[in-house]
Amino acid sequence: MDATVLIELLSAAVRIATPLLFVALGGLLSERAGTFAVGVEGMMLTGAFGGAVTSFASASIPAGLLASALSGAALAGIVAVATARFRADHMVTGLAVNILALGLTSFLLRGLFGGKAPVIVLPTLRPLAVPYFCELPVVGQVLFQQPALTYAAFFLTIPIHLFLMKTRAGLALRAVGENPAAAFSVGTDPIRVRVAAIVACGALAGLGGAVLSLQELGTFTDGMTHGRGFIALAAIIVGRWMPFRVMLGCLLFGAASALALNIQGWGLPVSSYVIQMTPYLVALVVLCGIGRRARMPAAIGKTFIRS
Amino acid sequence: MWRALLLAAFAVTLAFAVTAVPIMISGRNPLLAYWALLRGAIGSVDAVAFAFNKSTPYVLSGVGVAMCFRARVINIGSEGQIAIGGVAASWIALNLSQLPSFFLILASLLGGGIAGALWAGFAAVMRLKRGVHEVLGTLMLNFVGSLVVSEVLHGPMGEPGAGFPQSPLFPQSAWLPNLFAGTDMHIGIAMAIGAVLVCHVLLWHTPFGFRLRLLGSTDTAAAYAGVSLLRGVMQVMLLAGGFAGIAGAVEVLGVHYRLIDGFSQGFGFNAVAIALLAALNPLAVLPAGLFFGFLEAGALAMQREIGVPSSLVFVIQGLTMIFVLCAMGVGFKQPRV
Repeated sequence: MDATVLIELLSAAVRIATPLLFVALGGLLSERAGTFAVGVEGMMLTGAFGGAVTSFASASIPAGLLASALSGAALAGIVAVATARFRADHMVTGLAVNILALGLTSFLLRGLFGGKAPVIVLPTLRPLAVPYFCELPVVGQVLFQQPALTYAAFFLTIPIHLFLMKTRAGLALRAVGENPAAAFSVGTDPIRVRVAAIVACGALAGLGGAVLSLQELGTFTDGMTHGRGFIALAAIIVGRWMPFRVMLGCLLFGAASALALNIQGWGLPVSSYVIQMTPYLVALVVLCGIGRRARMPAAIGKTFIRS
Repeated sequence: MWRALLLAAFAVTLAFAVTAVPIMISGRNPLLAYWALLRGAIGSVDAVAFAFNKSTPYVLSGVGVAMCFRARVINIGSEGQIAIGGVAASWIALNLSQLPSFFLILASLLGGGIAGALWAGFAAVMRLKRGVHEVLGTLMLNFVGSLVVSEVLHGPMGEPGAGFPQSPLFPQSAWLPNLFAGTDMHIGIAMAIGAVLVCHVLLWHTPFGFRLRLLGSTDTAAAYAGVSLLRGVMQVMLLAGGFAGIAGAVEVLGVHYRLIDGFSQGFGFNAVAIALLAALNPLAVLPAGLFFGFLEAGALAMQREIGVPSSLVFVIQGLTMIFVLCAMGVGFKQPRV
């Protein structure tokens, strides 16, 4: 394998990791506050849909990005109300909004455009080279010639890390995820914190969807997220609920997918379906490898009842 | 019992009411859409037979999911288990076709069930030995299972020159017989009713069912009673996987008469929605499964007749689930031990 192939591979890994990273950072906020983020798949899909339809109608990518964050957050609002207020089971509620998102986006796509699925073709975000840095050998080509949302996703890891680990609000959020009763006793309302964390998760997952519809593919198709939200959940576990490690987890899955895509080009006798299985199989193998060492937030999945 | 029924009726009504909003956004009259849906579901003998066939795999896989949820095992892997069950059943139907019809069908169904159980068993082993949460385990295996169907259809089991990923037609001796002459309604629904009864007896009248209910009650009760998490999780996953595998077999042997790409799509979510609507009560899975089967059959007819997209069903299902979950959460109906 020569250098150009390797550089292409790494660059593809970063690109494929981008939507995962948005979703995983969102899911991290939700899970650190004590709510399983199974609904990120649906939030991602609604985000992809909101972004695609809005930028199609307004011919503006920024408007599309805003709409994708808002639509993801709106779906997350349902999860927040159901789990935090009505104490519904986190996992199954997440699953329910995933179905809802699948149906709603598919229905509205046809409903808004009169019966048939319209062909939406959008201009996609082009790669932007960062001056000076892009000329660095290898690193420049891998990291600094990427589209805008890729920079945004990786940069976002820093403020999220700082927020979670270095601010009072971040401490309160983590406290609610570890021991809501204790947090409540010092004046933090766990329900409010969880609602806020879930909605923020939805906005980020929505942006992750926008990466697919506005940056990668330039269109929307039914169920286009194909389980990427679930892969992001695996990345959170791999990263043990720590922002920078979660980022590495996303890169790991990005690299696995990039490698699998590349193998096809080498003319090896591997069918495309086996290659499509790779991300899921890698996720399972990695999760099995981690085993019980991953410690999740102590109060995750547990409902808080004020008494 | 009455409260559970009331809860289900409440959730379904609310879901239909809320679903009217997206229908109106798309510029249609919701009442007309629902009327078309109703006519499509029960408007003719053929429609009813079609709806019963639709319901069969849902009931079979839904009752397994209900048993799992009882033990707080969140098995959402029916889709993959159905896919693998369908592959195994198809292989047997195509390769052992010299068997007499009765044994060929029996072997296919059993093969499907065993394959589905093994697929679910994977997830159980990963949960028990490696601590991989069954939600992620079963989800990933769903994707892999569906891709296995594509893989075998593009490889060893595909029909050459068909232009569509499908297996050759099964020999007629492998087709599930119809329940009533003159309709397409196959005997699968009778098997589904059998599965519901078996699960009812298992859950309420056997030590196995008691262990499941203990596992689902509190973290400590099961430990006090000396119930092994290991055994309970494994057994209930194998049971649910087996039923889902049979559902996959029924679908290929009774409806398509061949393996086709994507035949299991969406079945797993249906199974979860049905188990919840039934308040995790095996007997109630039958009406809940029939409801979703008729709903889907009606929605397909609605799409054909007045052009309202049938993906509306997912909206109704998702909303129904959310309302049931909220009501369960605030203690309207907690499953009892």
